[in-house]
Amino acid sequence: MKKEKVHKFGMFIDLDKCTGCGSCMVACMAENNVPFREDETDKLLSVAWLRVYQLNNGKSFPDSDICFLPRPCQHCEGHHGHSPCVSVCPATATDYDNHTGIVSQIYTRCFGCRYCMAACPYHVRLFNWYDPVWPDGMEKSLNPDISVRMRGVVEKCSFCYHRYQRAKDLAYYQKRTEIAEGEYQTACTQACPADAIVFGDLNNPEHRVHQLAQPDNSNGGKPRAKDVFRLLERLGTNPKVYYHSSREWVRRLGDNFQDETQEI
Amino acid sequence: MDAALIPKGVKRCPIWIFLAGLAPVVLVLLWGVYAMLLCWLKGLNQTNMNNAYGFALWIWADLAIIALGGGAFFSGFLKYIVGKDELKNIINFAVLIGFICYSSALLILAIDIGQPLRGWFIFWHANVHSMLTEVAFCLTCYFFVLCIEYLPLVLENRQLDRVPFFHNLSHNMHEIMAIFAATGAFLSFFHQGSLGGVAGVLFGRPFGFREHILIWPFTFFLFTWSAAAYGPCFTILITKITESITGKKLVKDNVIWLLAKISGWMMLTYAVAKSIDTIYWATVTAPGKGLALSHFYTNNALYGYWILILEVVICGWLPALLLVFGKTRENRKILWLAVILAVIGVSLNRWVMVLQVLAVPVMPFIKWILYYPSWQEVATTLLPVAYGIILVALSYRYMPVFPQEAELNPIEPSLGEVEPSQLETGAAANVPEGTLEPVRA
Amino acid sequence: MKIDRRSFLSFVVGGAAGTALSPLPWKLTDNISIWTQMWPWTPVPERGAVTTVASTCTLCPGGCGIRVRKVGDRVVKIEGCEGHPINDGKLCNLGLSGAQLLYGPRRVAGPMKKVDGRFRRVSWEDALAEISAKLGDLREAGHAHRVACIADSDRGTLPEMLSRFLTVYGSPQFFRMPSMLDAYEITLNLTQGVQATPGFDIDNADYVLSFGSGVLDGWGSPLHLFQAHSRMLDRGARLVQIEPRLSSSAAKSQRWIAVNPGTEGVLALGMAHLILKGSLYHSDFAERYAEGFATFKRQVLDGFSPEIVSSVTGVEAAVIQQLAGEFAGARRPLAICGRGKGTVPGSLKESLAVHALNALVGAIGREGGVWAIPEPEYIDWPEPEMDALAVAGMQQGRIDQAGSGKYPHARYLLHRLPEVVVAGGDPSIQVLFVSEANPCHSMPDSRAFSDAVKKIPMVVSFSSFWDETAHLADFVLPNPIYLERFGDVAVTSGFHRPFIGLTRPVVKPLHDTLPTGDVVIRLAQALGGSVAAAFPWKSHAACLKESLADKWDALVEQGYWMDEKFGPRQWTAGFETASGRFEFANAAIDFLTSFSPLKAEGDEAAFPLVLIPVEGMRLWSGYIASPQYVVKAVDDTVLKGNDLLVEVNPETARAAGLKEGSGALLETPRARARVRVHLYAGIMPGLVGMPKGLGHSAFEPNLAGKGVNYNEMVAAVEDPDTGLNAAWGIRAKLTKA
Ligand SMILES: Nc1nc2c(c(=O)[nH]1)N[C@H]1C(S)=C(S)[C@@H](COP(=O)(O)OP(=O)(O)OC[C@H]3O[C@@H](n4cnc5c(=O)[nH]c(N)nc54)[C@H](O)[C@@H]3O)O[C@H]1N2
Ligand SMILES: Nc1nc2c(c(=O)[nH]1)N[C@H]1C(S)=C(S)[C@@H](COP(=O)(O)OP(=O)(O)OC[C@H]3O[C@@H](n4cnc5c(=O)[nH]c(N)nc54)[C@H](O)[C@@H]3O)O[C@H]1N2
Ligand code: SF4
Ligand code: SF4
Ligand code: SF4
Ligand code: SF4
Ligand code: SF4
Ligand SMILES: [Mo]
Repeated sequence: MKKEKVHKFGMFIDLDKCTGCGSCMVACMAENNVPFREDETDKLLSVAWLRVYQLNNGKSFPDSDICFLPRPCQHCEGHHGHSPCVSVCPATATDYDNHTGIVSQIYTRCFGCRYCMAACPYHVRLFNWYDPVWPDGMEKSLNPDISVRMRGVVEKCSFCYHRYQRAKDLAYYQKRTEIAEGEYQTACTQACPADAIVFGDLNNPEHRVHQLAQPDNSNGGKPRAKDVFRLLERLGTNPKVYYHSSREWVRRLGDNFQDETQEI
Repeated sequence: MDAALIPKGVKRCPIWIFLAGLAPVVLVLLWGVYAMLLCWLKGLNQTNMNNAYGFALWIWADLAIIALGGGAFFSGFLKYIVGKDELKNIINFAVLIGFICYSSALLILAIDIGQPLRGWFIFWHANVHSMLTEVAFCLTCYFFVLCIEYLPLVLENRQLDRVPFFHNLSHNMHEIMAIFAATGAFLSFFHQGSLGGVAGVLFGRPFGFREHILIWPFTFFLFTWSAAAYGPCFTILITKITESITGKKLVKDNVIWLLAKISGWMMLTYAVAKSIDTIYWATVTAPGKGLALSHFYTNNALYGYWILILEVVICGWLPALLLVFGKTRENRKILWLAVILAVIGVSLNRWVMVLQVLAVPVMPFIKWILYYPSWQEVATTLLPVAYGIILVALSYRYMPVFPQEAELNPIEPSLGEVEPSQLETGAAANVPEGTLEPVRA
Repeated sequence: MKIDRRSFLSFVVGGAAGTALSPLPWKLTDNISIWTQMWPWTPVPERGAVTTVASTCTLCPGGCGIRVRKVGDRVVKIEGCEGHPINDGKLCNLGLSGAQLLYGPRRVAGPMKKVDGRFRRVSWEDALAEISAKLGDLREAGHAHRVACIADSDRGTLPEMLSRFLTVYGSPQFFRMPSMLDAYEITLNLTQGVQATPGFDIDNADYVLSFGSGVLDGWGSPLHLFQAHSRMLDRGARLVQIEPRLSSSAAKSQRWIAVNPGTEGVLALGMAHLILKGSLYHSDFAERYAEGFATFKRQVLDGFSPEIVSSVTGVEAAVIQQLAGEFAGARRPLAICGRGKGTVPGSLKESLAVHALNALVGAIGREGGVWAIPEPEYIDWPEPEMDALAVAGMQQGRIDQAGSGKYPHARYLLHRLPEVVVAGGDPSIQVLFVSEANPCHSMPDSRAFSDAVKKIPMVVSFSSFWDETAHLADFVLPNPIYLERFGDVAVTSGFHRPFIGLTRPVVKPLHDTLPTGDVVIRLAQALGGSVAAAFPWKSHAACLKESLADKWDALVEQGYWMDEKFGPRQWTAGFETASGRFEFANAAIDFLTSFSPLKAEGDEAAFPLVLIPVEGMRLWSGYIASPQYVVKAVDDTVLKGNDLLVEVNPETARAAGLKEGSGALLETPRARARVRVHLYAGIMPGLVGMPKGLGHSAFEPNLAGKGVNYNEMVAAVEDPDTGLNAAWGIRAKLTKA
């Protein structure tokens, strides 16, 4: 068997471009068979793998400014795959794949203890408080590449792992060992009308995501590109989602600073 | 009516008073069972937990009762390993409380998980890196140990004891109890610690996270220590409450004082450790993650500095000092105050280590998330309390839980009241002091 | 047999051990784990062959290309079509939810007739027979002109079939749903002498000045603009957003100018003043290709000094100066207007002012400027033969008086329907057809509009969904949705080239539907004579194929047809006006002498605040209401439970004693509603922002009853120049409740 390259799939989200339109959220729901309920306004009960937050600069009119921040799973690597959530799961229902850098979630393994939710500082993990129900006929739109989750388990963004599988299958069928950049793109990246999301292999210098984020792999993946940051960098979660903003106040909201004077 | 079941040499209230007293507790129990069934059948949407509060009221209750139930392992440790023989007079009760606490904890976990029928995955697909795995294994093993420790007590019921097999079994079990006590203590050190580790390893949650010693965060050691320190206080508290309810003295003061003294010193050392931990966390750990101490105690409606002061000073240092000094310890009222403060203190610690951890916003652009439990959660949390009361009541009524009871409360048999069984075996009040079990054939 | 203790115990212990060693518990455990992973009521998506079909999204006027992913015969995902000139592989949240509309519970299952207030299924034959009988009777009685039709557009084969039907039948009462196109068309007509829609060559502009247009909030062809905007960022072009609220567009712009609501046009003229004063204008264009420039210049210099403009608009004079300098100094500047999503026509003066600003810098018909896109020429059907009844009917004139008397410029004035529908006791409209529109929810003063619709004796909705208008109809004759039928989309939403998208059947129609075009043909056949003769086609699909003959292959192959070679008419080729030049001013455009911004309806003392609509990509307010996933993604600062949150500046809220989330009573001269308050520092103090697209009574259970319909709170304010609705808000009062 041929030795495969070690990938590190990641995302670069340009907050200067993101308009908060919500396409990514809906693309994700439609792609991943996310259920919906009559009232989804309690966002703490709502299952949405990607959430677009609205940040503000705290100033009053007309100096006020806002920025949208889409937040998929950050696919944290921690130190050597020691992601905040993976390390705590007692049943090994979520795992860090060292070959892709993807934090998986195995719904049929998860027994719903929710420890991983407590561990994730990004509020990425979602519990199925309710039974998923599709109104009669609407189950026709379900995607067979992703299994429907049952009540009582945790789910989260998978970086559309099944699309990776699909791409790999095709490559295998065509007797290729590698897949091209465009062959594996997540549903949210694909949909984003503002081209705010760039997805690819952070280990591959030819991929746009690598060029835009310029991860310093010898230094825990820290971004070297200007105005690029990761959420809560100091926690040591070592996420694989990089954000870009030309506005300093936005970058400041990406992490905690003890006080105003602390250097960003 | 149930006279034949009542231990020899002690007096119990008439059955109807007993049942009438238990009735409200049974109602609470049924209410709790109803809520539990709702959670199982309709799912955890019956609670007010949400994606920010994956852990809530009953996980706190779980941690708190395990800490409070720590009296069992620590008393066992003191009696069987350290050799504090006086504690034999309270060890039965400590074991009973431990049994109640741990069986309740397991029940709560079975309600808490989203897929109870898959709960065993935690053993089958165990992830050795997870604190919860450690908790699950140790908790379950220790529960079995507690069962083994509790069983002889059950078998000592007058009727069961008549069965030679049970009689011998319980006798033999007593002989080897030290081994179980040692195993239990060992397991307890670990699972108490792992429970502390649950929050301590969360490096994404700066409020809970603590620096590590080897593979364990500080909270691992703090939890074990606090359970050992505060658990006995709970044993004392429940003993005192039982004494108040029955209107009898059940355990001699010297036993209580001994336990209180040991507990006091443990609490004092714990208070020192906890204070160092807090200072280190506030000045080194949290700032390293970009957070000033004020971040954790301001900008929200509930969690202020008061909670830190209440936990560490008022319910930490204060009761420790009160129990360390003989003068205050041996004052009935101060003893009461100290054990109550201690119980509040450890419960508060478990509260902040579960709920405040989740309430504190970590991403700078989100706000504090507060939560209040639904009635189903309250009922489910009261369920083990009711169950505990019932089990204590039954155990007290039908089993020789307090070896000193007969001595401390001699019965003056007036002929009319004497039961045939008592006549058969003679004056039970003459049980020699210091015997754990009633005289055997 | 006597069971002693020993044997009992042995039995128990032995039994337990035996059971544990048997396969039973293990099998049960295994079963439990399997069962908990596959609860019988959890749906299991079927597998099947995967195919994709290229088509066009019709859910808004954007005209995006889609690729529908199918598994077996199921639509599982709708994605953007890569390489498509409008959206290049991208899709908005509405387009992405198409499968929910297809399979969801909002669909009308088949032809329905309302009997005693309740809908009953009827056969197509019976429904069409009854309707055609009624049409026949009216026509015979000389009431042909009392039949009306409301359609989403007047371009494309279906709208043209509908209007052709009305014409040969004898009714001039064809209505198009209002939009900014109404005012833009008049502007292009008056200044350039063309009947055309505007196209904006954003991709070549380097400075885009938006007078309240929601560039990133669903204006124009939404996804085309999204992509164009991101490309602008990449090449360093600037977007300047002028509006009283920090919208997504404003937030993403390089500069946001907070202007008093409704005064955008004045700001444009203030800029024109400074450009003229500083001689920063394109002198070549002004002098050689324009007419009326001197008049325009004099009027602007006289009436729109920075001081006056500043006091009206609330924008500092220095800022106006800066804007003027930047705009005139840019290589390819472009100014656009049409507030929010452009669903309100707006005032002609404002539109002319912005167009004049473009003209001043030569951005007319130039690369990176505004282009006049002619009507699509593919619908080139022979003039129908009109019988006497048709001629007589057409002579009756439009009921809304558009194009005559008081309203010479306007083509459609649908907002006037409630006013004119009941002239006497007998409703002036006897039959109303509604195609691909939901006016009972989306027209201003929607309650009055619905009341008018209720008075019409026969309302026929062609809606595929149970929308508000369908609920009020007497017949609902469902059209298959865009995923089930052939159809053409003539894109008019600001795209800069003539463009046609094709929809095609991706799945077999799920319900008992009939394409509306086929219904028209069958009604015409039933009426016979010249009406039938005007529709020689077997079906709408046949008509489509025939009309698009030379483009059909391209359409089928790539899903769209675009006039690649199209470019705007060169200045040197002359304009189509009487003067042959671009007209800054003429007899019809004497707009500057009486320019004052239109006021919001209502008394200032009784209603101290002003309610404005909040439009964005997260809620849809047109014919298609937000599907389940879109509703799910709505923020909790917009909707909480069923309560709508209105945006208020913290200062305004404090004055009213309101806090974040407080309940409040919102009153306007038209309606009152219970709302909650969301504090938003990005909205101008004194304004109340209400998200548009909620407050549906239809669409149970995911949308009905949620929030308030903005259109209920407002009414049209007629532009004195055109009669078009130019309301940008309404006065309001917010009190603690
Ligand atoms: N969204 C979504 N998530 C899922 C699932 C899903 O259906 N949908 N399914 C879940 C399930 S059931 C599972 S099992 C997991 C699977 O999740 P993973 O275990 O992550 O599965 P793969 O990525 O397929 O395989 C892991 C890696 O092993 C590498 N590999 C292949 N052969 C070898 C080898 O011989 N040696 C070594 N060292 N490496 C090799 C592959 O290149 C790949 O990078 O995903 C879970 N997560
Ligand atoms: N190409 C490729 N093939 C693979 C793998 C890969 O990486 N690549 N991975 C392999 C691995 S590790 C695994 S575990 C398998 C998984 O392979 P599968 O088990 O086939 O895939 P799943 O996606 O887990 O779900 C199977 C089906 O169960 C349905 N389902 C969900 N809930 C229920 C339910 O309640 N009842 C019923 N009856 N069905 C339900 C899902 O919708 C889905 O159609 O795939 C293996 N095959
Ligand atoms: S789709 Fe793109 S622009 Fe829209 S919210 Fe998501 S990331 Fe932002
Ligand atoms: S973002 Fe949260 S869920 Fe995702 S890998 Fe990191 S800790 Fe885990
Ligand atoms: S909820 Fe599921 S995935 Fe999360 S820690 Fe528990 S078992 Fe693991
Ligand atoms: S990567 Fe895939 S799973 Fe994750 S948010 Fe995007 S669409 Fe959803
Ligand atoms: S912008 Fe309009 S046409 Fe394009 S996908 Fe969205 S709804 Fe469809
Ligand atoms: Mo698997």
